[in-house]
Amino acid sequence: MKKNWMVLLMGIVLATLLLSACSNEGTSNEADADGGSGEAAAEQVLKIGNDQEPAGLDPHKVPAHSSIRIYEKIYDSLLTFDEDMKVQPELAEKWEQPDETTYVFTLREGVKFHNGREMTAEDVKYSFERIMDEETASIAKSYFDKVESIEVVSPTEIKFTLSEPYAPFLSYVASTNAAIVAKEVVEENGDLNQVAVGTGPFKLDEWLPDNHVKLSKNEDYYKEGQPKLDGVTYLTMKDESARLAAIRTGEVHVTTLSSQSIPLAEKSDGVEIKSYQSTEYSYVGFNVNKEPFNDVKVRQAISLAVDRKEVADVVWKGDAVLSGPIPESMGQWAIDVTQEELYQQNIEKAKELLAEAGYEDGFETVISTASTYPDMVDTAQLLQQQLEAIGIKAEIRQLEWGQYIDTWTNGDHEMLVGRNSSGSDPDRSIGFFFSTEGSANVWGFSDEKIDQLAEEGRTTIDPEKRVEIYNEAQKRVIEQSPNLFLVSPEKFFIVRDSVDNYSPTANEPENFNDVVIME
Amino acid sequence: MFAYILRRLLMLIPVLFGISVFIFLIMKMIPGDVVSTILGTEATDEARRQLEKQFGLNLPIYQQYLQWMGGVLTGDFGVSLRTGKPILGDIISRFGLTLELTMLSAFISWIIAIPLGIVAALKRNTSTDFGVRIISLLGVSVPNFALATLLLLVLSLAFSYYPPAGYVSLFEDPMKNLQMMILPAFVLGTAMAGAVMRMTRSSILEVLRQDFIRTIRAKGASERIVIFNHALKNAMIPILTIIGMQIGTLLGGTVIIEQIFSLPGLGQMVLTAINQRDYPVVQGAVLFIATVFVLINLLVDILYSYLDPRITYK
Amino acid sequence: MKEIMARLKKDKVGIVGVIGVGLVLLLGLFGPWLSPHDSTEMYKEHMLEGPSATYWFGTDEFGRDIFSRVVEGARVSLYVGLISVGIGASLGFVFGLIAGFFQNWVDNLIMRIMDILFAFPDILLALTIVAVLGPNLENTMIAIGIVFTPVFTRTVRAAVIAVKEMEFIISAKAIGVKTHKVIFRHVSPNVLAPFIVQSTLALSGAILTEAALSFLGLGIQPPNPSWGAMLNESRQYMEIAPWIAIFPALFIIVTIFCFNLLGDSLRDLLDPKLK
Repeated sequence: MKKNWMVLLMGIVLATLLLSACSNEGTSNEADADGGSGEAAAEQVLKIGNDQEPAGLDPHKVPAHSSIRIYEKIYDSLLTFDEDMKVQPELAEKWEQPDETTYVFTLREGVKFHNGREMTAEDVKYSFERIMDEETASIAKSYFDKVESIEVVSPTEIKFTLSEPYAPFLSYVASTNAAIVAKEVVEENGDLNQVAVGTGPFKLDEWLPDNHVKLSKNEDYYKEGQPKLDGVTYLTMKDESARLAAIRTGEVHVTTLSSQSIPLAEKSDGVEIKSYQSTEYSYVGFNVNKEPFNDVKVRQAISLAVDRKEVADVVWKGDAVLSGPIPESMGQWAIDVTQEELYQQNIEKAKELLAEAGYEDGFETVISTASTYPDMVDTAQLLQQQLEAIGIKAEIRQLEWGQYIDTWTNGDHEMLVGRNSSGSDPDRSIGFFFSTEGSANVWGFSDEKIDQLAEEGRTTIDPEKRVEIYNEAQKRVIEQSPNLFLVSPEKFFIVRDSVDNYSPTANEPENFNDVVIME
Repeated sequence: MFAYILRRLLMLIPVLFGISVFIFLIMKMIPGDVVSTILGTEATDEARRQLEKQFGLNLPIYQQYLQWMGGVLTGDFGVSLRTGKPILGDIISRFGLTLELTMLSAFISWIIAIPLGIVAALKRNTSTDFGVRIISLLGVSVPNFALATLLLLVLSLAFSYYPPAGYVSLFEDPMKNLQMMILPAFVLGTAMAGAVMRMTRSSILEVLRQDFIRTIRAKGASERIVIFNHALKNAMIPILTIIGMQIGTLLGGTVIIEQIFSLPGLGQMVLTAINQRDYPVVQGAVLFIATVFVLINLLVDILYSYLDPRITYK
Repeated sequence: MKEIMARLKKDKVGIVGVIGVGLVLLLGLFGPWLSPHDSTEMYKEHMLEGPSATYWFGTDEFGRDIFSRVVEGARVSLYVGLISVGIGASLGFVFGLIAGFFQNWVDNLIMRIMDILFAFPDILLALTIVAVLGPNLENTMIAIGIVFTPVFTRTVRAAVIAVKEMEFIISAKAIGVKTHKVIFRHVSPNVLAPFIVQSTLALSGAILTEAALSFLGLGIQPPNPSWGAMLNESRQYMEIAPWIAIFPALFIIVTIFCFNLLGDSLRDLLDPKLK
């Protein structure tokens, strides 16, 4: 008797499995078939397969990309960027610069926070003061170190006075981390993790960690008729194979995948691959205080031993371009590195330089990298092999993310493989990473010429002159090679055909304001 | 009996205390702290110091422990350093998922393993026995992340099927919930089935050899009655032990499957928190899992004595 | 022992296990002489090629020869298995012996510590230990070894206590013989049976745990191949280049399967109740 029960139960389980398989097959087929009928679907909620859980939602405090992609839809800044990375109005309608150290912003009128209250110059003042307050521990604090005073001129006018000319100022004002927040909301809640009240196109409905973040349409968004969607739901799917399966079956509308999986997604029906050149670049960093990397010849030899094309081909399946200190997607600021002598593989020359430095037979070293990102591990493996050609025996040390950051901060490494974002102003690529006092100069690198150029770059307001300064600075960084820049990868979004009006760009990879989901 | 349970419960106190100290210290020993992981490459010394102060990480280590433990003892597990969410509420809602997944996997493993175990025992040393043993061992031998990846791949390519995304609990939407849970439970269940099968087989073999079964047989009872009414009942004890142990292990051991199937369970909670060095979350969740684990073991021991009157406890 | 061997011969399932384990061990021992290529050499003009006469099992995303990697992986995986079980078993033996022998506060202390370790889910414990020590081959083995220690400790302790209660020990005590010598002499053979079974099964557990750690990015470091790491890296290629996944998977499955078969039949053979 009992045995029959068992058989019955097994049958039920199998049937559930099959049934659920069939029922879903049905729905996804419908979606496929209706891909091009041209009618908006009844449910306008965009489902995104999210590869990483956000680390927090306070725009002033959390620099993680996984967080930015969400809070950038909730908050606005005074300014924003266009495709050439030039600043454009956002919450500020226009701005003036009466002299080199004064900026006056005129705010857009009638912009409402998600709680219904109108945004005023007081909120702008409060937001910047919050960033600049030591207690907040904001990552954007150093952006505004040169701000001497903020003055509310009228409810729609605000004046910033700087202590000295500071060219990156507008770029930093346009940063997502300089978001305008509502004063009373911060004061009521103490922080901005649980609640998020901004002026952006979407409102935060719910964040269930490791499950989903739900955003819904801001009906009062200041741009007429936007957003068209009723909501956006980020579904946490950390596993790449899960995201691939989910986008194929139409369980999500948009997701990201690594270069390796792109050919698979390309073959699938009903999806489209959209790519853009990212502002990120992969690099090799040296600890220039440690032997033998204190010798510039050794660093140059390694630069000559590296085949950057191979990095692009093997690690990124060809979907990456060579990059210098400032990647191509930064438009006017980038220089063409393909002609740089140090960026052409030349084993003979590399061996010569090593011999001159006194390492004819090469040496042993350790390449540290983060295990969290397969592309970094792959890059490290490839470099390990390339360096063998000039007698350098490298061991790979994979570090878990927290440990990697620690190693990074403490300069506790010999060679380090990583990937950085160039941000929005060239000061980050030069001053932040390579000037002696730069807060991200973890290489122990110090060069008078770079320091001087970085300072000039910060204080020169004229854009054309700035471009010249940064061109020179980049050449100097390449020559001194405290870091070797490798490639700047393309980023991919895999999008269902039913998603209309979506095109990712480096400045706004996830602008869903015009997106409509078709039947 | 009551005194025994009470004594066992009292013995849990030092163990749980030890666990809390162990997990607290080990989290402090992991290189890289929560401040580094939050600030990443944007860290300045100023911001670091400020956050350390806010999180109380500048206090002496024993004070940090006492503060945390003091909170836990009064039912306050604190809030996550990353999300600001209260930890206990999160643990409880995730426990629901993990418990359901565990029970479902255990259930699937039983319906595969117990019938097979009975058959194998009855046909001991025949080719049926060998066949059953080989099949059930195969399930244990496949790394479950490989099986899960393969399953998702095959289902999505061949049947265009993917379990519904975005977890909902059993109470919100039972049908959707079951669709999400059945695949991961199947993967976990096949891995557990091997051990349950062999335990069933050997327990039945042992029971069948005992005198009382011979007596029943001699009285002319049919084989079916012998097996189901008598042998199985007595064989349940060791089977129950192994099931209890497996449930305990699964509570935190489903982490990989949760990740592949995007389920926000306890395992994911601990894993994410370890990666982010979210100390109070790891500490709270691990302490919770360990407590449930030791309680389940205790429960199994008690059931044991209930099912087998020969066992007495001093 | 002879009797066991004789009975093992009759157990067909067990024999399959013995042969399988033997073959895998041989592969691990003599692998380097078998493999036609260097396991870390990248033949970049041959990336992601299917099995061929030159590359018997095909090549991976870097153009490395999978056959050579699988063979090398046998060494790594078996090494991890043997050493980590060795660590767990020796620690367990020492602690179990001490605990069982004294049966006082020392016993209590050891067993409570084991309870603490035991209450942690295996994978989370291994993960945390690796996170503290840093991920590499040695630390992976230490972590897995620690995870297995409580099981071995319990097994040995139970056996010691059983021996102590045997009649001849009690009578030896009565006539004033130094009991600990007698106990040690008798503990070994009594502990051996469960110990062997436990070890065989733990071996397969260790290989699987290493694979799981690899999945979580905390296993053996590249470019050295362990089967687990290979299988994890191959997940992205299961569809376009299934051979990358199939071969390491096959070897893991067969190896663990054989260890389990062997452990299983040894358990039946050594269990006095099932004679």
